[in-house]
Amino acid sequence: MDVGFILTNAIVLACIYGTLAIGLSITWSSVGLINLGYGFIFALSGYGAWLASQYISTNGVVVLTAGVLTGALGGLLVCALAFIPIHDKPNFTVRGLIATLAISLIGTQALLYVFGPRSKNLPDIFGFWKINLAGIVLTSDKIGNVVVSIVVVTAVLLWMRSSRRGLEIRAMMMNPHAASIVGIGVRKTGFYVMAITGGLAGLAAVLLSQTYYISPFGGLAPMIKGVSIALCGGLGSVRGAVIAAIILGLNEALTARLLGGQYVLITQFILIILILLVRPRGIAGILDRAREA
Amino acid sequence: MTGHIWRNPLYFWGVEGAEKEVPSIPHKSPQDVWDETTTSKAPMLPVGRLRYYYKWPGHGGLTWPRFRYWGTRRRALNIRSVYNPKTMRLEKTIVDKRPIWWVLGLLAFMLAPLVMPTSFQNTLLTAGATFSIYAAINLCWMLIIGTAGIYSLASYAVVGAAAFGTSWLSINLGLPWWALPLVGAGIGLVFGMIIAVPAIRLDGFYYALLTIGLNELCRVYTLQSKQFGSSTGGLYGADTYIPQGWDQYDQSLLAYYACFGVMLAGLALYRFIDGRRLGRILKMAPEKREAFAEATGVDFRRARIWVFVISSIGLGFIGGFYAAHYRGVSFSIFSFDTVLLGLAMLVIGGIGRAEGAVVGTAIVILLDKVLLSTGPLRLILIGLIMLGVVLFLKGGLFGIKAQFRAWRDKKKSERRSMRAEKGGEMLPEEATETKDKDLLYWRRYDKMQREFLKTVISPELIEEHRKKPLGQHSEPLERLLLYFRRAPQNDKYAIVAVEPFKAYRIVALSGQRGVAPRIVEDKIYTSTDEAYHGVFLRRVQDLLES
Repeated sequence: MDVGFILTNAIVLACIYGTLAIGLSITWSSVGLINLGYGFIFALSGYGAWLASQYISTNGVVVLTAGVLTGALGGLLVCALAFIPIHDKPNFTVRGLIATLAISLIGTQALLYVFGPRSKNLPDIFGFWKINLAGIVLTSDKIGNVVVSIVVVTAVLLWMRSSRRGLEIRAMMMNPHAASIVGIGVRKTGFYVMAITGGLAGLAAVLLSQTYYISPFGGLAPMIKGVSIALCGGLGSVRGAVIAAIILGLNEALTARLLGGQYVLITQFILIILILLVRPRGIAGILDRAREA
Repeated sequence: MTGHIWRNPLYFWGVEGAEKEVPSIPHKSPQDVWDETTTSKAPMLPVGRLRYYYKWPGHGGLTWPRFRYWGTRRRALNIRSVYNPKTMRLEKTIVDKRPIWWVLGLLAFMLAPLVMPTSFQNTLLTAGATFSIYAAINLCWMLIIGTAGIYSLASYAVVGAAAFGTSWLSINLGLPWWALPLVGAGIGLVFGMIIAVPAIRLDGFYYALLTIGLNELCRVYTLQSKQFGSSTGGLYGADTYIPQGWDQYDQSLLAYYACFGVMLAGLALYRFIDGRRLGRILKMAPEKREAFAEATGVDFRRARIWVFVISSIGLGFIGGFYAAHYRGVSFSIFSFDTVLLGLAMLVIGGIGRAEGAVVGTAIVILLDKVLLSTGPLRLILIGLIMLGVVLFLKGGLFGIKAQFRAWRDKKKSERRSMRAEKGGEMLPEEATETKDKDLLYWRRYDKMQREFLKTVISPELIEEHRKKPLGQHSEPLERLLLYFRRAPQNDKYAIVAVEPFKAYRIVALSGQRGVAPRIVEDKIYTSTDEAYHGVFLRRVQDLLES
């Protein structure tokens, strides 16, 4: 239990949960949907990756791709069920929230029904090696997790910044009504957004499965972590999510070191409540009003 | 058509050029068009137009004295009694029948153990008790979600915390069963205060997400701590109100009625919060309308804290009762699926009404208990129902009536707008904007006149006009020409002499002084009569096209 070990752990978890938080954040700010089916997408893509490793190949790239693709598929499913039918109806935000919760209920129970309650584990996709960096031992999965998540999230953010589709998504984030007026299809963009954020959930699922097992309800805890980070950073802000991920990761590492592992969630929620009481829209949320419509 | 003739009365007076008989068309009455226009073409179906209320007869002078609950102005039933002006009889209408349904439903629930089949008796009694407890929890939760409009998902966390706290106290300090709900209420109060604090600052989804997190926090905390029984899957062994010496059936029956009592208490609490001052204030200040509420002098923050505190005390009480009922509590009360099922109960029934909470609970508990053998499939089914309700219904099952009425009204107005005739008549929006309302009636009359004149145009009339554009004409042609002559100056046809007695041409007047007429066509007519007939044909053409 040395500081280096805890710190590296915290950084790894912060990267993975940060990925989830950015996915949730983008979903909320562009299509206005709080995707509480994210835990289901997470678990689903874990199972997708597991199926790929069982029937196709245990190659890391294949497993990772399968997880991301399944996640994107799950995102499309959620979009088709919870966004497309009701996005122009009254009370969309509340109904969307409840619809994603219903999808989460259906999906996790369906996974339980199909795959059974026994948890699965994925092959080590980054191989087995370790390096010793100034007394801190870094294993392959930690380095792999951090590098892959940072690379993919950076790639997604760059794509959003430079491509035509990314421009559409950013326009939706700024003002969905104006975006639809200038000819950006709300439904089409919704599908893009949900596919990308689903893919991010799939990525996080495969990366986290290097540490934890895959189970039907395994997506809940990561989703809640991701939600907490997204909340704390301010929904809709990528930069805030990064800052919040670092703060909460540090808090987790420090609490585990100073107080003990069972107090992690308590201190985390006290911290989140304190941050939100000071800044009700999160660290980077400067908007006075919540996103409407 | 053929064979009809018009006899020229001027012929006998020896007027020049007057023919004795002119071929014409049979008489057509302008009244027909009038009747056609003014009759309603809306299909009058015998049902569905008005709401149907049974009219109870009144009793002489007993119109005004009615039963009222003591100390209030409330009546048991909202009855409207009026004298029917046609029959001169007193008619009483029950405006709101919900109290009747409530009483019948609760009576049925109370008497249900008498008619339960003996083979299922135990299962049904247990299911009934579970239903009552969950209904009571959902009623308290509905106060927060429905009345206050705050999406708090931590209600089961409050119940669970109270249940765990009281179970622990009962096991370790030997707290008797009757103290458990009271202590639970105290724990609920503390918890309610804690979760009410963020609700002042946060809104909507921030709060929903935070409360999910709190729920998860409780789950993980109890799961990890030894004193809350992380090894046994829960905390068991609390004191119970059910005497262990009784036989199984009596125990179940007692539990059934005790839980029923808790549900009644929950209903009373809902009624007293939702239907009174606090509920009114909260419903007036939903999310995103706080600014308006504040401007009118409503202290919505205090109201929100109050509703949180009151409903949390209720939830804590139920939590203590839960511990005393089940002799303990398991971790599953904190699980995400419990929250989801609870939310499914509220959503299926309809958010914002007590009957929604109770009936939704009944549906979900029934599915949950009846299909227990199917495993995860029953939860999938419940999830599908929830998804369907969210996607298709606005207010759950109890909102169907209002939604259907709104849909029917929409369809009605669509059909009405399809029936509305255009062409001369003003559209409703246009009509309200017009200053000169006389114009509306003039347009309507003008349209009817044109409708009628279209029917009289025939080859005979055109031939008659061609022969003699000026002078006395047959009756239908005379009507037609009078209409044409009365047209406004604007765009009225006229003829100009290009070369007198040799060449004429048709022009249209501008209707404005100083603006020259425009030339309509290039055709040159050689005589005035021919030019008059040309104008006539154009006007007939325009009339038929209008």
